[in-house]
Amino acid sequence: MKRRTFVKLAGASAFAGAVSAPAIAQGVTTVRWWYHYDNPQNTPAALIAKFEQANPGIKIQAEAIPWGGGTDYINRMFSSVVAGNQPDCAMVRLAYLSRFGQMRALEPLDGYLTKWAERSDISDDVWKLNRAPDGKQYYMPLHYVVIYLYYRQDLFQQAGLQPPKTFDEFLNCAKTLTKDGMYGYGMRGGGGCHDNWGPFVLGGGASFDKGGMLTDKALAANRFFVEFATKHKVVPPSAPTDAFRQIVDAFKAGRTAMTIHHIGSAAEMVGALGDKASAVPLPRGPGGGGWTYFGDESNAIFASSKVKEAAFKWVSFLSSGDGNVEQAKLSGQLPITTSGLKNWTGHPKRFVEASFASLPIAQTLPDNVKTPDFVGRVLPTNLQRALLGETNPDEVMKAVEQLFHG
Amino acid sequence: MAPPPPGTAVQMNQAAIRTLTPYGFLVPALLVTALVILYPVAQTVLFSLQDYLLYAPDDARFVGFRNFSMALKDEVFWISLKHSAVWVGGIVFAQLSLGLVTALLLNQSFWWRGIARALVIIPWALPSVIIGLMWTWIFDFNTGVLNDLLIRIGLISQPYAWLASPQSALACVMLALVWQGFPFFAVMILAGLQTVPKELYEAAEIDGASEFRQFIHVTAPAIAGIVATAVLLRIIWVANSLDVILVMTGGGPGYTTHTLPLYAFLRAYSGMEFGYAATLALMLTILLLAIVWLYVRQQAKDLDA
Amino acid sequence: MSLRRSALRSAVQVEIPVLLILVFALAPFAWMLLTSVKPTADLSLFPVRYMPSRITFEHYQLLIERTSFSINLLNSLVIACGAVLLGLATSVPAAYAFSRFRFPGRRQILTSFLVINMFPIVLLIIPLFVLMRKLGLIDTFLGVIIGHSTFSIPFSIWMLVSYFNAIPRELDEAATIDGASRLQTIRLVIIPLIMPGLVTTAIYVFITSWNEYLFAMMLSGQTVRPVTVALQLFIGEFTVQWGLLTAGGALIALPVSILFLLVQRRLVAGLTAGAVKA
Repeated sequence: MKRRTFVKLAGASAFAGAVSAPAIAQGVTTVRWWYHYDNPQNTPAALIAKFEQANPGIKIQAEAIPWGGGTDYINRMFSSVVAGNQPDCAMVRLAYLSRFGQMRALEPLDGYLTKWAERSDISDDVWKLNRAPDGKQYYMPLHYVVIYLYYRQDLFQQAGLQPPKTFDEFLNCAKTLTKDGMYGYGMRGGGGCHDNWGPFVLGGGASFDKGGMLTDKALAANRFFVEFATKHKVVPPSAPTDAFRQIVDAFKAGRTAMTIHHIGSAAEMVGALGDKASAVPLPRGPGGGGWTYFGDESNAIFASSKVKEAAFKWVSFLSSGDGNVEQAKLSGQLPITTSGLKNWTGHPKRFVEASFASLPIAQTLPDNVKTPDFVGRVLPTNLQRALLGETNPDEVMKAVEQLFHG
Repeated sequence: MAPPPPGTAVQMNQAAIRTLTPYGFLVPALLVTALVILYPVAQTVLFSLQDYLLYAPDDARFVGFRNFSMALKDEVFWISLKHSAVWVGGIVFAQLSLGLVTALLLNQSFWWRGIARALVIIPWALPSVIIGLMWTWIFDFNTGVLNDLLIRIGLISQPYAWLASPQSALACVMLALVWQGFPFFAVMILAGLQTVPKELYEAAEIDGASEFRQFIHVTAPAIAGIVATAVLLRIIWVANSLDVILVMTGGGPGYTTHTLPLYAFLRAYSGMEFGYAATLALMLTILLLAIVWLYVRQQAKDLDA
Repeated sequence: MSLRRSALRSAVQVEIPVLLILVFALAPFAWMLLTSVKPTADLSLFPVRYMPSRITFEHYQLLIERTSFSINLLNSLVIACGAVLLGLATSVPAAYAFSRFRFPGRRQILTSFLVINMFPIVLLIIPLFVLMRKLGLIDTFLGVIIGHSTFSIPFSIWMLVSYFNAIPRELDEAATIDGASRLQTIRLVIIPLIMPGLVTTAIYVFITSWNEYLFAMMLSGQTVRPVTVALQLFIGEFTVQWGLLTAGGALIALPVSILFLLVQRRLVAGLTAGAVKA
């Protein structure tokens, strides 16, 4: 195991005692599971009770870990892997698959999946997105969100505009709607800005392959995106540090006419704006290409677990049938199963449709150990400087290329 | 005290006891501290000499001081260092000034003093994450109360993007931290003021010294030691604090609110580059050490008095 | 400074400035309190709505009934009290030794207590986590308390040394001449004299431990989770529960303020002044 070096160092410490294995009560298998829900009032207690009733002999010990912008959750998880007291299974994100892979922390699920009857209720596209570079499945898909475009139906109507289908239409809409203290596009330039940058830059022809950020097309696409702020000024001046909270609040307060987010904020938007808020898939680039971010949530089983069979029963329960539907309600996202999505009533229909219509262009970020650094540091800092006009927009692309390809 | 009996063995014993007594007093503190700190610190120093990635511990190689020379060539290191200096200097100075004034005022007697003392401590009693979120919300461009108030008063006509403008972002985050920390100085100094013997003021008053002169000649010397220690401890604390920045701006826009610990944090947890991050952290520690050294040298007389 | 002032002078020179400082200290907090009694629909409006459309305590009710917040408050209390006890029990003797004895290595040891305080905790936390795991202290009160002692012990020692130093040594000597043993001198003479310093240090440790997040997040699990970590659960990836968060903030600040209201009486001039004279 790869973490051995670290543990050895720890063992060299004079204070290191014996590692005590958690006692397993006779006849009852306890499965430790880590999760995070956005709303702390939601607890998985009812789901667990239902599962335990159907599976006597298995007890689920669920622990809510603070998300903390992603850092806390991941930090806690990696520390636990390093220290050797990780749970049996936990919610995980694709962005970290490579790092888990490098640590050999996860158990491949292929053996279990071939015997699992419900597998076909999750679309093949999702299985493909979740597959690791070594061709194995480590992640059990749980639910997902797709980034799309929120827009103000009423304002579009007043201005005689149609929801934009191309980048140029988008720019035109944004320009038209920027007036009287209202901004056309509530851009997210703070934490999580990749989901605003990606649609225009990756959708406009940039790619993560070697040299893919530095082609003329890629550089032009990035310039087009940065110029929303520097040249056309169709975004609020606060855009460079605005994160999801600010873009959603600004949209709710009627200060922006379009913003880019996903179904997770639909209930809030409708609560504030009613029918005035609607959504469509993101616009396409000049060549007809498009890109949107596939926000994933999966469960994984740790290689160190001694109760993998039981853990699989639990994670597969969460990814099938009513279990998945209930789980999606708790987390405020979309069910992963085709059957669950068909009768889904958790969100207003127009948002479910916009999500669904976005799937053809939905992509994940590259499966690379560097990806979290791209999301968390390299893109935000460099993009913000460009948005403020402190640096040439091309510097963003150079920094991203440099990160992934040295 | 009775003179020790003439037996040499007993004498030696007593001498040994006298020599060992201070160490005996130190044992509990040393024990606990050694238990929790020595190993992590040693580990951090070790990290700084390797190209250690948390997700690939087995590939870590010993690289000597390469991380250090890399840091010296890193533009962001220098930017962060500059911000750290502004950050520490500005915050500690403002907290101290405001805290000193508050303490002197709260040392006067007036009928609602108890309540005032209890209320002034509130900013310090709130967790950083709440403080960060509240201030972010106050400074918010669209729905923030600050822009709204200023527009109502007529000081500005357009909302201002406080946290997204390079000119104001660092100052805004610093303001939040000054707000949070000035009660610390107020309480520390208030306690220090209690050690000043009242007789000194009475004597000064008889001499006809003005209140200002009383402060310079009686109060200031009496609390100087405590203030100096509080400042030193605060410098260390403020230099290392990053949770409020993290919540408010995450270091942005660009590098505008990057301080050294924040940069180390990003390298450690976004890139999981623990080797490089440990190096950045150690360089901050070395700089702080220089300040401490100056302080200890200054206080040497006092310490050994 | 003289207590003999006219009411007017006191108002102009003291009470009005105090009021101004309180406004600065409390305005953001008041804004938070106000937010905590607003219905969710009143938040994030433009222009800002200052007065709630109706006053509601639903956030507090949800906080108490639907989340584990009250247990978390209790956990925080245990941890903060534990941190104060451990911190003072170890640092009072140590500070006394640093102040009253001259011994080889004194300055070096005292300085090194500061030095260990200088490492950014974010980097120490993972090795510390590994260590705590080996000791079996993850998700125990003791584990978090010991974690907090990393900042409380160095701080307490340094603060207490300066308070000890402020007390004339002649007092110890006088007590010794009167026939008191060293421990008697500490207990009967020194401790009462440094009470303001002791209280201040205890407050510092209490508040810092009460507000600490990183150690608590890493070292606690569901069993001993304190409020700061519970609070973080209200800040999700896609939503911030403003109502819960502000109500939680109000409930967190409350115990500390009450505590300080109770102990601030100890911070009164005269306690030491009289003794020094004697």
